[in-house]
Amino acid sequence: MAAVSVSPAETRQASKAESLAGKYLTFSLGREEFAIQVLKVREIMGVEEITAVPQTPPYVKGVINLRGKVIPVVDLRLKFKLPELEYTQRTCIIVVQISMGTTVLPMGIIVDSVSEVLTLAPADIENTPDFGAGVTLPYVMGMAKIKGKVKILLDIDHVMTAQDLEGLEEIFNA
Amino acid sequence: MGPERSELERLIESVALELVVGSAVSERADRIGEMLSALADQARGAGFSSLTEAVEEMQGALQPSETQDWDEVERKLKDGIARLRQALEESEAAPKTASPNQLAEDPELIADFVLESQEHLVSIESQLLILEQDPGNAEAIHSVFRSFHTIKGLAGFLELTEIRDVAHELETVLDLARGGQLAITPAVIDVALACADFLKQWLERLQAPSVERHLIAVPPSAPLIEQILRLRSNGSDTAQAPEASAVNGTAAPVEVREQAEAERRRARTGEARMVKVDTGKLDLLVDMVGEMVIAQSLVRHDPDLAQLRTPRLLRNLAQLSRTTTELQKTAMSMRMVPVGQLFQKMARLTRDLARKSGKQAQLETIGEETELDRNLVEEIADPLMHMVRNSVDHGIEPPEERIAAGKPPVGRILLKASHQAGHIVIELSDDGRGLNKQKILAKAREKGLLDNGVPETDSEIYNLIFQPGFSTADRVTDVSGRGVGMDVVRKQIQKLRGRIDIRSQEGQGATFSFKLPLTLAIIDGLVVRVGKERYIVPLYSVREVLRPGPDTISTVENRAEMALIRDHLLPVIRLYERFGVEPLSKDPCQCVLIIIEINGKGFGLLVDELSGKQEVVIKSLGETMKDIPGIAGGAILGDGRVGLVLDVVGIVGNHWEVAANA
Repeated sequence: MAAVSVSPAETRQASKAESLAGKYLTFSLGREEFAIQVLKVREIMGVEEITAVPQTPPYVKGVINLRGKVIPVVDLRLKFKLPELEYTQRTCIIVVQISMGTTVLPMGIIVDSVSEVLTLAPADIENTPDFGAGVTLPYVMGMAKIKGKVKILLDIDHVMTAQDLEGLEEIFNA
Repeated sequence: MGPERSELERLIESVALELVVGSAVSERADRIGEMLSALADQARGAGFSSLTEAVEEMQGALQPSETQDWDEVERKLKDGIARLRQALEESEAAPKTASPNQLAEDPELIADFVLESQEHLVSIESQLLILEQDPGNAEAIHSVFRSFHTIKGLAGFLELTEIRDVAHELETVLDLARGGQLAITPAVIDVALACADFLKQWLERLQAPSVERHLIAVPPSAPLIEQILRLRSNGSDTAQAPEASAVNGTAAPVEVREQAEAERRRARTGEARMVKVDTGKLDLLVDMVGEMVIAQSLVRHDPDLAQLRTPRLLRNLAQLSRTTTELQKTAMSMRMVPVGQLFQKMARLTRDLARKSGKQAQLETIGEETELDRNLVEEIADPLMHMVRNSVDHGIEPPEERIAAGKPPVGRILLKASHQAGHIVIELSDDGRGLNKQKILAKAREKGLLDNGVPETDSEIYNLIFQPGFSTADRVTDVSGRGVGMDVVRKQIQKLRGRIDIRSQEGQGATFSFKLPLTLAIIDGLVVRVGKERYIVPLYSVREVLRPGPDTISTVENRAEMALIRDHLLPVIRLYERFGVEPLSKDPCQCVLIIIEINGKGFGLLVDELSGKQEVVIKSLGETMKDIPGIAGGAILGDGRVGLVLDVVGIVGNHWEVAANA
């Protein structure tokens, strides 16, 4: 394990992979498999009746009652501009803890189905490939290869914060 | 304390994890070093000295040296982790038995100190203002002395030397005053108030999270101490008390009803039986009790149970309902505080403002013992402060002008609180100039606020001052007259589901009255249905509900709709259009029209049907959805689903704007 000379770029990549290693919850959206850190997940529940909130972007499905607390629910399919799908028995709401600045907010995300909990080692993780100009993936922290399949490591805080708020504001001001 | 600890714990665990995973330590020394310095910062910030030491030792072990033995380093680091964990545990297990040095750092003790000092501060300020009016009041001197003495003792114990020194010097002066060796002059009062302000700034600093604490500057104590010492040296010469009452701009709370004052004094002796509770816990309790009341009513109206009408069940259900109602009342009352503290703040403000503007004003209060929800107290402090500023600045005339008008030179401001049918009413009156209708109208015309017609009634004219951008002050002072403010005041009061009324007699003064609900937590609501959605309309805004006939609603240029109700034309808003929901029917005759009245204006809201009346606990929709126009929040309905609570002001506000722009 000792001194093998490595280029700076590779070390950087290695240290990023290390910081990303850990336990992940994987779920699917269409044909893609995503993974979010288990630490971010508070609970998983089936889709129940959601109260629509007017004047919000279409991907904000509304609010639900989580044991006496009112929390917002976002349809991740619509957020990622995938076609809308009828909810089934397998559709789930994953309640995640979103960090916004210093506060932590519970929020529900709707996914097609929840798969499993995986432990990812640094060796499983790679940087996001460069897709060239015009393709930016701000929500993606990296990719994991498990048994020949690719899982997209999602930065869930990023998905739900900054841009969303701007989007909401535009709608309010319209 | 909690978040800091858990953050430390998290950092320690992440370092520990970094040490045991995968490749050799030698390759990850940089990263571990980074984590350690983050940990060191955090530990230092939180004041965990034992932790800081351990981290520093680990950092030392990581220092690159010529003959780096990585196994040795790894061993040292692992030992270090064990020490860190131990130190963290110890800090949790035995904060109270720590050495005196750490005592001063104990956040819990500091928090207690802040809380207790704040209580003393309130009493100090009010007593000083009384003393200013009546320099010979021995009881007031004793009280201020005792408060500073207690603060001095506590500060000394916590090694807050600057506070201790200031309190000590002032205490000496007060002691002289107590013994009659020094007269209470306005200068003494000024210095004592300055000490109170100094203390206030310190308390703010102590309340800040420890990591940010050093960012808040604290005024040096030396000038203040010098001032106090000067008082003492002058003291002997001025022992023959000058007429302190002739001071310009005096203000002190004068309890109009002596009896209430006596009662409060009696109540104060019972304080020993009180318990201090974290307000967060109290809020949670009120919240949960609210949910329980709803659950209880659900059980009681359950259709399955309705078939089982046995006397025993009915009796038990009635008992349950009585108990929950009682519980709710008790929980709510625990959050109620007397409005007196808020009034005290206003007394201090009046004094300072009067001084600044060279006027004389005196604040009187009635009904200080009136109770309201503590959350509400915080929310109305700013608007009230603004109104008091306005009264002193615009209402009360300078002494010469008052004398010329045949009034006593000292202006009188009266703050009065009372309960009226489930609401609290706070009235602020002054005997100043009053509102000048002509001036208001002229100003409004100049600002283009009268383009939609000239208001006729007095109250309509007075309400113009709540328009954004309106200000009648001839000159702009540093406290008021910039035209921001009054509209903000009204918005804030509306947000609290309250209203403001103005009464005024030109030359005689003005009265502003705020009417507010006693609590923000629970409202009576009308549950309405539109398509699949249910909304809650706050009952206080509903004037009547009716089913429109074919002729009730007519259109205007096919753009807007209005309803003719009892000879009044009211704009109509179709809620389904406003919120983009698919309704059961678009024919008004199949729908229900709710007539809503706010600020004297009415409008009709068209919904599919009524589902009933319900008491609901209002909850926020969270950070991301807090400012949606027309929505005040959410509430959990009988079946466990969330219903949205309508913000009627927001709904109609938008509508009127849209109509104006069309």
